[in-house]
Amino acid sequence: MMETFLYLIAEGFKNLWREKLSVFASIFAIAIAMSFVVFGGITGQDFSRIIKVARSQYELQVFFSPMISDSEASRHVDEIIKIRGVKSANLVTKQEAAEIFEREFGENLFDLLRENPLPSSCVVKFDENVKKKFDVHPIVNQIKMIKDVEEVRYQGRLITIIERYYQGFFTIVTGIFVIILLGTMILIFNTIRLTIYSRRDLIRALKLVGATNRFVRFPFMVEGMIEGFIAAMLAGSFAYGFIRVSNYFLAVFTRYKIHWDWQVMWQFVGLMVLFSLIASRQAVRKFLK
Amino acid sequence: MIWFDNVTCTFVKGAGLFDATFEVEKGEFVFVIGPTGAGKTTLLKLVYMEIFPDKGKVVVDKYNSSKIKQRQIPLLRRKVGMVFQEFELLSDRNVFENIALPLKVRGEKKREIKSKVYHVLDELDISDKAGHYPSELSGGEKQIVSLARAIVKDPIVILADEPTGNLDPVSSFKILTLLEQINKEGTAVIMASHNYNLIKDRGHRFIEVVDGRVSA
Ligand SMILES: Nc1ncnc2c1ncn2[C@@H]1O[C@H](COP(=O)(O)OP(=O)(O)OP(=O)(O)O)[C@@H](O)[C@H]1O
Ligand SMILES: [Mg+2]
Repeated sequence: MMETFLYLIAEGFKNLWREKLSVFASIFAIAIAMSFVVFGGITGQDFSRIIKVARSQYELQVFFSPMISDSEASRHVDEIIKIRGVKSANLVTKQEAAEIFEREFGENLFDLLRENPLPSSCVVKFDENVKKKFDVHPIVNQIKMIKDVEEVRYQGRLITIIERYYQGFFTIVTGIFVIILLGTMILIFNTIRLTIYSRRDLIRALKLVGATNRFVRFPFMVEGMIEGFIAAMLAGSFAYGFIRVSNYFLAVFTRYKIHWDWQVMWQFVGLMVLFSLIASRQAVRKFLK
Repeated sequence: MIWFDNVTCTFVKGAGLFDATFEVEKGEFVFVIGPTGAGKTTLLKLVYMEIFPDKGKVVVDKYNSSKIKQRQIPLLRRKVGMVFQEFELLSDRNVFENIALPLKVRGEKKREIKSKVYHVLDELDISDKAGHYPSELSGGEKQIVSLARAIVKDPIVILADEPTGNLDPVSSFKILTLLEQINKEGTAVIMASHNYNLIKDRGHRFIEVVDGRVSA
């Protein structure tokens, strides 16, 4: 059983080696195209670190009506904390507001006015671990609906722009990935077709001596999987090279460095092997009898 | 053991085999003769179920052409040894590997394979050729190798389609003698041949095919 299994795997390698020129041409083409995707994927993944930092910096200032007291405001703050996507909401009392005013303007309000005209407010921060598209607007709308909220101040535009670029980037990388994956499948399908054609004497001999379909087909699927695997590893190495080069240039004018991500790399290799297997299985089904 | 029951098998242009009925017993040696295009190859293909009858049935051992499932065909082929005029050896594998193929396919262990292959190499007296590639063999030697590949799996019958068609008289005689030797050990042989002079006085039964009609 084990011996047969190893034999069939060895046969897969032999098939690949027989057609080495066309096989390596396709592998190389796949690897080059894929390396951009891996590069994009890993850079994007890495960029999400920055997005997380940015998200943790996002904050809203909510101003309550000057008419309500700090304790009433504090009850509203509790409501705000319950809103989904909100990480924290900290009350700024009228007293604290006055102190901030004094710090910033160097004047004591109580010296000018007899009572504190400043409203209580609160600072809202967001949960930065939202995986999907992050949108402040629903949160803002919910806060605005709370009684006694007079004004919500936030850097809405900046947040929206950052998020939009980030999403756009991922959509493009994913789109290219799907296209290249299809191309990969076609190339692998084709090399398997070539191998099947060049091995028709072997296939015939195997069938005549009583090989089962599985026995005949297995080496071709192994071949397809190996091709996908080699292409993925090559693509990974190229992408690794790109990242090293990019970091070299990034270092000139930023402190930002792209980090290599093994998890993304192995997921990618797994996916490539899987799709190569599917492509070679299709070729075998179509061209082997 | 092999039974053709009213077998008709035609190709698009109407050629083929018609209403063939005959039987081959266990351990028998039978020649299939007839002019070119008569249907000899067709008859043999029906036995190893490369093709199937339009009408009637072919029974080989426990396999019945009208009932056999696709996945049982390999099992049938493991009991039937085949030898062709064109040898059909794999050019990128040496003699040993060519002969080992039917055993590999059955999933036998390396050690068993080795002993069985060397045993037949010995029996057919070509042990010294084990490492040769087909291109390094004479026609007669190639045919002996394909004979070895046929018998290594210990079949119940050997089907030989013009096994001497590409060989000189001496090699032809040698192949025939080897087939007879194999037959003496209990394996049935069905051999299609044109070479009437070679086969006429061997004392075996003839099945004659003319224009797709069989007279046993
Ligand atoms: N695949 C096929 N398609 C169409 N016709 C075929 C096919 N195979 C065989 N035939 C026809 O069937 C007839 C019998 O062919 P077969 O090969 O059995 O003859 P044969 O007796 O083996 O001849 P030979 O002695 O020349 O080998 C021939 O007329 C041939 O043309
Ligand atoms: Mg013929």
